Parts: sequence; structure tokens; C-alpha cells
Amino acid sequence: MKKAVVYLNQFFGQIGGEDVADHAPEIREEKVGAAMLYNQLLDAEVTHTVICGDNFMGSRTEEAVETILGFLKDVDFDIFFAGPAFQAGRYGMACGEIGKAVKEEFDVPVISSMNIENPGVEVFKKDIYIFPGGHSAAKMRDDVKKVTDFGNKILNGEKLLPAEKEGYYQRGIRHQYFLEDETPAYERAIDMLLKKINGEEFESELPIPELDLVEIAPAIEDLSETTIALVTSGGIVPVENPDKIQSASATRWGKYDISGMDKLENRDSDKFKTIHAGYDPAAADADPNVVVPVDAMRKYEEEGRIGKLHDYFYSTVGTGTTQKEAARMGKEIAQELQDANVQAVILTST
Amino acid sequence: MKLELGNFYVKDIEFGAKTAFNDGILTINKEEALEVVFKDKHITEADLRIVKPGDMVRLVPVKEAIEPRFRVGGGPVFPGVTGKLEQAGDGKTRCLKDMSVLVVGKHWGGFQDGLIDMGGEGAKYTHFSSLKNVVLVADTDEEFEQREQQKKNHALRWAGMRLAEYLGEAVKDLEPEDKDTYELDPLTKRDDKESELPNVALVMQPQSQMEEKGYNDLNYGWDTNSMLPTLMHPNEILDGAMISGSFMPCSSKWSTYDFQNFPLITRLYEEHGKTINFVGVIMSNLNVALEQKERSAQFVAQMAKSLGVDAAVVTEEGYGNPDADYIGCLVALEDAGVKTVGVSNEATGRDGGSQPLVTLDPKADALVSTGNVSELIKLAPMDEVIGELEALARDGLSGGWEDDEVLGSSVKEDGSIVMENNAMFCGDQIAGWSPKTMKEF
Repeated sequence: MKKAVVYLNQFFGQIGGEDVADHAPEIREEKVGAAMLYNQLLDAEVTHTVICGDNFMGSRTEEAVETILGFLKDVDFDIFFAGPAFQAGRYGMACGEIGKAVKEEFDVPVISSMNIENPGVEVFKKDIYIFPGGHSAAKMRDDVKKVTDFGNKILNGEKLLPAEKEGYYQRGIRHQYFLEDETPAYERAIDMLLKKINGEEFESELPIPELDLVEIAPAIEDLSETTIALVTSGGIVPVENPDKIQSASATRWGKYDISGMDKLENRDSDKFKTIHAGYDPAAADADPNVVVPVDAMRKYEEEGRIGKLHDYFYSTVGTGTTQKEAARMGKEIAQELQDANVQAVILTST
Repeated sequence: MKLELGNFYVKDIEFGAKTAFNDGILTINKEEALEVVFKDKHITEADLRIVKPGDMVRLVPVKEAIEPRFRVGGGPVFPGVTGKLEQAGDGKTRCLKDMSVLVVGKHWGGFQDGLIDMGGEGAKYTHFSSLKNVVLVADTDEEFEQREQQKKNHALRWAGMRLAEYLGEAVKDLEPEDKDTYELDPLTKRDDKESELPNVALVMQPQSQMEEKGYNDLNYGWDTNSMLPTLMHPNEILDGAMISGSFMPCSSKWSTYDFQNFPLITRLYEEHGKTINFVGVIMSNLNVALEQKERSAQFVAQMAKSLGVDAAVVTEEGYGNPDADYIGCLVALEDAGVKTVGVSNEATGRDGGSQPLVTLDPKADALVSTGNVSELIKLAPMDEVIGELEALARDGLSGGWEDDEVLGSSVKEDGSIVMENNAMFCGDQIAGWSPKTMKEF
């Protein structure tokens, strides 16, 4: 039989009320409180209950998470439930914190339930499955039923339907889906157009999500003292591509020493080329400086218009690369640049 | 302009003594057909195969799909490409339906090439598994691009078109089983009933982003990179004016077969005179530089305004960078007071968590999504591979790879594969067939 672990706060874990909200995390090899209800409804056995005070998790989050992950290291489990947290804000945030950590550490499905008003929904719906729940414990049975029904589908390997059908909060995670009635795109498009023309209601298949815009940094007043780095998504690498950066859908980046170079030598000289598969490589292979302008930066350096060109340039490939991977690589590169005391970056794309 | 497409429904294909069409059976004299293929001295090796829906056959690297046709009067099926330039879309053309000519590399693939499974789980990912196909599997002496990720595939694509024209001649003297007639009166001479209906245009954005010649879609043989948006009669597209190029991750592509059968066009024709007045096609393109993108969007919006277009469908052959052209065009039209619907695929990543299009705008409020280019697909080995399975991993197909920390190579020793949807041949069926959408999970 498959195994489940349930996370509860001090109240539902039957330790006590607000006065013991700073209760340190503990794990019990038994079904405590709501864990019994889970056990009844699940096609799995609840082997352990984790209990932690909401204030402990809220104020000493890192310690709480580490402790609980430590408890779970030697526990064999297939699925993890947290809550239901109803409208209790701290409890919702706690379920989200531990749920996200467990998901990342053990890669098991994590399911929770929260009322729409619970701040945990907005913060953690991307990381774990959260089902809409009631305001208070009066809805305990209904809420646990919802999450265990879905948990059972996962445990039994059943086909999972889109969020709108399963009922959990939408997470901004989009996958392709074969429509049951196989209505082809051209029918959907023209039907949608006719509705739009006639002022009838229609439903876009891609609702435009909120944009993740980065604010423009304040201008640097004096460049003559500034160390500037070149970073590119144009795929310029040493000809042997030492970091094996992919030509499309990249997940890797590279860092290449240019100290002492007046410019980047080209592919014919066996030095630098582009591995980017999304644009015509002829110009960049002939002169990699058109993508990573080391030559121009050296001139500025000579003229004293900039302080210094950073000794390394950074490179990856932008074509087909997902925003998430790009953001991760960007953060990693930014950290290196900050550590090296680089004050400005010229980011070239293609 | 009036186009009459005469249909011959192909129920089966076989090799035989004489190339002929009889009672739904297309018989092919293989030797004679291969002679047509070998007319180009760059073709070094070639064979023909026949594959049908349900066959446990995997085709890779697939480069092109074409519907065999015959132009009554003997002109080229693809004017300006396979013969002299002449007007397409005004006359009679005979079509071998429910089949296509598929062009497959015997060895070498590239970024733009794809995969087709005729049977099993993988069949659902392409339109071409539902057709009977004559497969030209061939190699060329184009050594300059054998190891290049981007290939023009010139010799193979043109051999495919010659073969499609050769097969089309089988129905040269026959009476079609039925006919589809496509006719629109001139815009300024439509009757009151049509003129009172909402004016609708289709805006097409074919792939045209390569600066070097030989990769882009062609419009009567003209490189679409050198083109500004222009008004076309929908019949021209259905009748061979546009051919597919050899650039863009494969699932996002429109094959030549797609242009010949473009379902968004045929559906707009069905509505014409009933719910809409079909104005025509604004043939735009996809660009690299921002100013080029903006220029094209401006031209499209201007044409729509000048033509009095009330509503438009915009569709792009591609994803990533060209999303900027796609959204830019939708926004320019909405700003001009034109109600729009967009048709494209998305790129949300293997985990589904990434921004669906490179640029987004709240004015693009009616979008149809046809798939996720980076969806991970695992498929069991097939009984037979036509082409070379290793190409998927070795040659930089947009949905294949040689190594991955977690997934290993795209091609496993037992012949099973793991790939991104990116490499499914015209898999997102942006021309309009796609039974896929995108959902929140």
C-alpha cells in the first residue's frame, strides 16, 4: 500500500491553541487528529503526522523547514498533505512553506486546501496543488474529501485533467491538451471571431497573465570609473563550446576569459563562433564582436570613457529558452557579476 | 477569381506497372517516378515508400509535405517555383486528396526537420499520420550543409514538388469525383447581402526571418523576407502560390500541404455570404529587427483600414522571436478598430511554467492556442524507421538532443525516443487542424 504523510498545525495536531503556537516541529509515527480522516479517505496509509506551531513556522521558517525535511529523510512516502488551512493565514503560509520544500526535496505530489482569502493561496499556488476550502473547520470533512479524491487519482495513476476540471487553484502552469471533442483550431478560431463580432461572450484560450516587468535601474552618472561586463544570449562561445551550451532551449551558460584580448577572434581563426540555432550565423561567425562587442569596449576603455571591461564575458542561447530557465541563468550570472564588483552590464541579444 | 479544385479521393496507394489513378487506387511506376526525382543531379540516392495510417513506422527527418496536384492546362502546380510565373487561384486544379508526398532525409536532418509516427501513441501528434503518404527518402550531395544545423534542403524539397506534380498527372484526363469551387467577387463589386455583412480578413505571417536566401517561405518564388505585407486572394494560397520554407522549429511550421489546404481559409469561405464578407488574405511576414516588425504591422493595419476590415484572424508560422510580430500585428489591428482573433502555439517550457509568448498584450484578448512547443514526449520503438532515427539526436532537430543530464540522448538503444514537441512535423497544426489547446494544470 502507498504511504502518505500529513502536516498539521498545533491546533489540528491536538497540541493546543494560540498559547502553544510556537510549538517546535515534531513527527509522530501515528495518525493524529485530522490525519485520521485522511487515512479513512485515502487509497494509502497515513504513516506519519508532522506537527508544527504556526508561529514557529512563521518566525523561524528556515529552521522549521530544515528540521522537518530532516525528519522526513528516512521516511518512505508517496504523497504529502498539508492542512486544510481554511482562512487561517499563518497556517496557510506554513502549509505552503513546508509543502513547497517537501515538493522540491522529495519530488512527491503535495496537496493542500485553503480558503480563497488565505494569503497562502497567492504565494504558493504555483508550487503545490491548493484546493479551494471553507472558512473554518466546520468544512473539514468536505475539504479533506476534495484533496484526498485528487490525491487518490494521482496515487492510482489516473489521467489528471486540467485545473478547471480538477478544481484546484490555477497555477500559471500550462500544458498542451487534446480536446475530448477534437474541435480543430480553425473551428475554434472562427467561432470565437463570430462571437467577438457579434458582441457575445467568448473565452480566450490564452488569458494574458500579469507581466513580470523589471524596473529600469537608475542611470550611471560617470562611466569612467565603472567596470562593465558583456553578457549575451547570442550564443558566442569558444569554437569547441567547452560548456556544451545547447543551440536551442538552453539550460547552460558559460563564462569566458577575454583579459588581454583586443577583440574576439573569429571561427576561421579557431577562436570564437556562435552556436545559436535561431539566427543566421554567418555574420557572427565571421566577426563575433558584432554580438559581443569586445572591440568597441576596448576602444572606450582606451579613450577613458569607461573604467574597465570586465575580464570575462558571459554567454548562453536565447532561442526557445524558457523564461524560467532564462531567469535562473540570469540570477546566477548576476550573482557572479556582483561578487566580481561589476557595476554595469551590456546585455546583447540577437 | 474563381478556383475549381477537383477532388480525387485516394483510398489506397500501390506500386505497379503504370502510374495511374483508378477507382480510388493510385498506382505508381516506381522507376519512372524516381527518374523524375533524379532529374536533379544533386540527388545521390532515392527510394519511394508507401505508408498508411496505423503502420508502425517512424519517419525522421521529415522535411516537407506536398499534396499531389495537376493544373488543368498544364501549368506548374507551384508557379514561379516549379515552372514559369503565372496566376494561381483562377482556373482548375485537380487534387489527389487524403494523401501527401512526404520528403524524408535518408541520413541528415536539421533544426527545421521533424518526425512523424504513422501508428501508435505518437500518431496523434501530426496531421500526416491521418493521410496515406508516398515517402521520398533520399540523400543529396549538398555536403556544405550536411553538418549545418540549418539546412536549405533545396534538392530534396524541389524533388518532392516534382514528384507531387508527376503523381498529379495521373488524374490529368480524369473527371473529379467532386469539386470545391472558391469564388469571391471583386471587393468593390459585391452584392448588397455580402457587403452588409462584417468584413473579415485573414492575416498570415509566414516564416521569413532568414536574411540569406533559400530558407524562407516563397510567394510565387519570391523570398518572403524581401516582401512587404500585401493583399492576396485566398485562392492563390490554396492553389500553390505559397510554398513552405526550411526554417523554424518543426512543430510551428506550415508545410506546403498546409498552404494548399489551409483550413482557416476554407472555413472563412464557408462563412462567406452567410455570417461574414470574406475580404481576402493580407499576406504579411515575420521579421528580425523591431523596425521591420513595426513596419509590417503598420502596413497590415493600414490595409485593413483601407479595405474597411471589421474583424481579422491573425496567424503566425513560428514562436519565440516572431511572437513579437504576432502580438504587434494583433495590437496594431485592435488599435485600428479591427476585432481580432489570433491562432498560434505557445512555449511554456517542459514544466509548463514559462510565459506562453515572448510578448503579451492585454489587447490580444481572443487567442486560440494550438500546442506547447516544449512539451516532453516519450514514444516507444516502432517496427520500422524510414530515414535515420539517429538524426533526431545528432543533427540538432529543434526537439531533439544528443545529451541531457536527466534524460540522456533523445534516441535510446532500443529505438524508443524522448523529444520535445518542437520536432513533431508541423505538429502544432497552426494552419488550423490542431485538436490541441493549452490548459492550466
